[in-house]
Amino acid sequence: MQPFLATLFKELRLLYRDRSGLLVLFIMPAVLVVVVSLVQENVLKATGAARMDILFIDQDRQTFGKLIGEQLEALDSVTLVTSLDGQVIDTDQARVLVDKGRYQVCIVVPAGITEAVRTRAVEQISDAFSGGSREAALPLPYVSVYFDPLVQGAFRSSLLNALKQMLLAMEMEIKAKALTESLPVQFQQTLSALADRIPLDPATIPKVQMDPGWGSRRLMDVVAEQSRLKKLPTSVQQNVSAWSVFGIFFIVLPLGGAIIRERKDGTLARLRTLPVPYITLLVGKLGAYVIVCWVQFLFIVLMGKAGLPLLGTPVLSLGSDTTALIVTVTMVALAACGYGLMLGTLARTLEQATMFGAVSVVCAAALGGIMVPVYVMPPVMQTISLFSPLAWGLNALVEISVREGTLGSVQHELLYLTAFFAVTMAIAWTRFGRFDRQSET
Amino acid sequence: MTHPESPPLTTILWAEGLTKTYPHARTPALASFSLSMGPGEIVGLLGPNGAGKTTAISLLTGLLAPDSGSVHICGADLFKYPRKARQWIGLVPQHIALYPSLTAAENLSYFGRMYRINGRELKDRIKACLEIVGLSNSAHGRIGAFSGGMKRRANLAIALLHQPRLLFLDEPTAGVDPQSRNMILDRLIELSRSGVSMLYTTHYIEEAEKICSRIAVIDEGRTLAHGSPGELTQAHPDCNDLGQLFLRLTGKDLRD
Repeated sequence: MQPFLATLFKELRLLYRDRSGLLVLFIMPAVLVVVVSLVQENVLKATGAARMDILFIDQDRQTFGKLIGEQLEALDSVTLVTSLDGQVIDTDQARVLVDKGRYQVCIVVPAGITEAVRTRAVEQISDAFSGGSREAALPLPYVSVYFDPLVQGAFRSSLLNALKQMLLAMEMEIKAKALTESLPVQFQQTLSALADRIPLDPATIPKVQMDPGWGSRRLMDVVAEQSRLKKLPTSVQQNVSAWSVFGIFFIVLPLGGAIIRERKDGTLARLRTLPVPYITLLVGKLGAYVIVCWVQFLFIVLMGKAGLPLLGTPVLSLGSDTTALIVTVTMVALAACGYGLMLGTLARTLEQATMFGAVSVVCAAALGGIMVPVYVMPPVMQTISLFSPLAWGLNALVEISVREGTLGSVQHELLYLTAFFAVTMAIAWTRFGRFDRQSET
Repeated sequence: MTHPESPPLTTILWAEGLTKTYPHARTPALASFSLSMGPGEIVGLLGPNGAGKTTAISLLTGLLAPDSGSVHICGADLFKYPRKARQWIGLVPQHIALYPSLTAAENLSYFGRMYRINGRELKDRIKACLEIVGLSNSAHGRIGAFSGGMKRRANLAIALLHQPRLLFLDEPTAGVDPQSRNMILDRLIELSRSGVSMLYTTHYIEEAEKICSRIAVIDEGRTLAHGSPGELTQAHPDCNDLGQLFLRLTGKDLRD
């Protein structure tokens, strides 16, 4: 028992004395819990409500268009965007924006829907009393919804159902109004036909007949329109992009660990006495780990191309711009390696580097839309996600593989990744290369 | 061992007025340290823990920048022309500065390539260095599986690979058995005879006495005595040997 207790207390003492390590040990899981909880908050809400900008095009400009707009606006989770840069949006422009992923949803209320719905309501009530049916001859007016092809199925269903319920409530109102207007007429007609038979024999009074199916006949509908993208995204494309970026960033653990081991065992001191600029050694190290990242990416791609289809998924497609793909993956790898090098120079112990490295990558992944789409996050988290390098990498890869993006269309993401790489390398270089900067002239 | 393209120099190391105070420290870790070494000289740097030995080696190898002072190695200013100066130095750090998951030969090969040694020449040098330290039969064994003595010898082999003119040895025999220690010291004497200069730090006074032509005793960053073992004992006739002299100069108080 004594050796056990002695060991136990020794380890506790060691942990207690590694204040920074302890801080990391307690703070990082707390950070993880807070970040992931906030990121997932809206996803787990029964309403699926997330504050979202929705493009809204009211071509009707009559009662229904306005009413639908007002009701959508009344929802806490929706902000309607009806114009961009002061210009009213047209459907084509909106569809392009949605296909590009700038907006996730566009709702179009077609011109004349108010009139069409009213006419349909009157005809339906008339048919209900007369026993006729013009249903088949009449096209059902509908509100069009365009989704970003990457929007998840659950979110689509949730929004479509909400819209359908909203329209149903409006229908009920219209039908009730039509019925209110029609019933007195029906009664009047019936009573008029009985005027010469007064006093009335209750047994001979005809009943006002009405088709019971009237109530379930629709006045209007909501239709999710097809995307104009040539190839619709698959779950394989999205998952390969997301998890390969996540996996690449996990290179920070071995890389940071290697740097710390070199520092601790004196290898770094020996390396710094070599007649080689330290930048050469750093670049060599960087090159090796970038190769590892590439192998990792290719392995995941191979799984998507050959492995997953065996299990019934679609074959992975990575878009048509190979150059853009190569540049993007390389930049993601460089950003990850730069972060690993920086971590290796800043952390004091291996435990700090591995703990902080793992938790920071998981947090950046959660914020970056790897686990949960950014558009379902709370607004604050959406803003923070703009600063996640994993988000830049993921957005660029999705743009290339799903939306047939090119180098031009991912230039911003590449620029951010380059800047991140430059900053992290500069920090690592400053920590390490102090003496090598006094190089020969 | 021969020294390709070796300039015929009489001064291999020339250091003057090296002073270094670490951030937040009140006193300098090393103050006005000066030293010059000729070819084949072994200078012992003795001092208790915290005396400034490792700081001196770090400054002399360019790992640390001094607050003042200069270092020339084979005529090249270490801080002005670090790459030129560093090609002549080899460092045997206090720790086993090797990659444990690589074999001895792989470690040597990596560091050899850092000195731009390639092909047949690299293979020959690896073989020669492993022979010098008695590790020929363990060339393909992983460092991580080596005994403490073997690791120390491999640590030395790396520093010899590029045939340096000046070796910095920071407690190279710490924690090794008498057999390995004896072998390391014998090899160092042989290297010295072939013209390699060495700055040697150790806590084993008898080692310094055995191999060093000159000894500098430092404490609290200051040089307390400097000369050949004979000169030092002559200057302090009340001390029977270097061990006594060391304690006389640095005191008997325990060092933290």
